[in-house]
This record gives sequence, C-alpha cells and structure tokens, in this order.
Amino acid sequence: MNTQQDDLKMIREMMEKSSKFLSLSGLSGVIAGVTAILGAGFAYFYLLRNPAMTNYTRMQEIMILLADASLVLIISLGVAIFLSKKKAAKTGQRLFNAMTLKVVYHFAVPLITGGLFALIFLFRGDLQIVISSTLIFYGLALVNASKFTYNEIHYLGITEILVGLLAVLLPHNNLILWTIGFGFCHIFYGTLMHFKYDRKK
Amino acid sequence: MKDIITKLNKAFESRIRLAIMSVLSVNDAVSFNYLKELLEVTDGNLASHLKALENMNYITAIKQFIGRKPNTSYQITTLGRLSFQEHLNALETLIK
Repeated sequence: MNTQQDDLKMIREMMEKSSKFLSLSGLSGVIAGVTAILGAGFAYFYLLRNPAMTNYTRMQEIMILLADASLVLIISLGVAIFLSKKKAAKTGQRLFNAMTLKVVYHFAVPLITGGLFALIFLFRGDLQIVISSTLIFYGLALVNASKFTYNEIHYLGITEILVGLLAVLLPHNNLILWTIGFGFCHIFYGTLMHFKYDRKK
Repeated sequence: MKDIITKLNKAFESRIRLAIMSVLSVNDAVSFNYLKELLEVTDGNLASHLKALENMNYITAIKQFIGRKPNTSYQITTLGRLSFQEHLNALETLIK
C-alpha cells in the first residue's frame, strides 16, 4: 500500500513544483517592508512635514521623492533576488527557469503600467494620485502573479488594493496608508511566509 | 480488487515516468532541461524514459532551434492525459 501512497505524494509534489514558483523568500518581504518605512519616513520628515524647512524648487522636490522611491524599490528587489537565489540553491534549483520568467512577466505587466502612470502624476505634482495608484497597481500585480506562487501573495495583493482605494478616499492620511501598505503589510505577510515555508525546511 | 490492479498502467511503474507525466499534465510544454532540473536525473536516463512515453503516444516531442541551439520540449497527448488520469484514479481507489 505504501508505494501507492508514495506515488501519489510524489505526483502531487511534482505538479506543484513544476507549476509554481516556490523560491520566494519570506524574509525578503520583511526587509522590503522595513526599507519602505525608512523611505517614507525620510520623505515625510525631510520634505513633506514642513516644506518651508528646505528651499528646494518644485522640480527638485519631485526628483528627491523619485530618487527616494527608486532607492526603496532597488534595495527591495535586490534583497528579494539575493534571498530567493539562496533559497533556490538550498533546494537544488536554479532561480531563473521557465517558471520564474512566467511569474516575472505576469508581475511586471501591471507593475510597469502603474509605474509609468504614477510617474506622469508625480511630474504633475499630484502626490495623492501617486500614492494611491502605486498601491493599487502593485496590488493588482501581486494578484496577477499569485496564480504561480504562494497563496499569501494573493492576499497581500488584495490588501494592497484595499489600502490603495482607502488612500483615494482619505487623501490627508495617504502617506500613512502608503507606509502601512508597503511597510507593515510586507512585514506581516513576509513574517507569515517565513515561518510557514522557510523555517520548517 | 483484481480489477483495480489491472487498471494500474504498467507504463507508469517507473517513478521517473510518473514524474514526467505529472509535470506535463499541469504545464503546456516543458523543455528537456527544465524536466531534468525538476526530476534531478541524468540526461540519458531522462531521454530513455521520454522516448518510451513518446513511443506509446502519451507525449509528443516538439523540436525547435533557439538561436543555434536545438531545444526539445514535450507535451502531453490526449491519450496520455486519459491514461494518466485512469492510473491516478486506480491509485486513489487502492489507497481507500
């Protein structure tokens, strides 16, 4: 009887392993969250809290915000790639295979669309739209890519979309909502995934 | 009982063949290299099992060139899907 059970277990494993990207590291979510909080903190305390404190032109302010956000993105992506590569190596897989490309593609289409959309509004100086649209498009990108990876990514995506919509409704609190969405939600789901999938093995 | 055992497909007695069918049943087309990485088997071993499944018309090979490199990917056939499903059903009833 045991061999049949083993057969079925192996079949299930193979189906999942071959159709899902499971090298995503939970810890990288936590680090992305912390980086986002630091980035938002810098933007708030250095620029937005009291614009009279510094005497930058409008354009310089936009450039500083853009550099701040880009730095957060680059650090988060870099750490995610590094840690996922390590996790893949542990299970004897390469990080970049046919599956990874599929995930990256499905993630990138809504994300790049949203990024360009937000960039246009950043240069128009409409920070409210920038904040809510980055949250919403990022959430859509996560939901779209979640078909090929852990379930938590789906729920993280839904959460980001809801926080983004809330940011449209509450324009005065939207930097706080941005910090919750990109900061605390990442830390929460990252910790969850770390303990659920990474620690056991 | 005897009835169920005869429904278990002899072609899938090998673990590697079972694994190949599992992967192909949930993916459109899978390259030789990706299969090799997933199954952690040698080239020769994988190739001989693929050939056997191909000869039974359970899978088809699609040969193409990516740049100058030959690249073979595999797809499950309708016959393959039905046989694999039947084998799975037989396995499940055996466990019950």
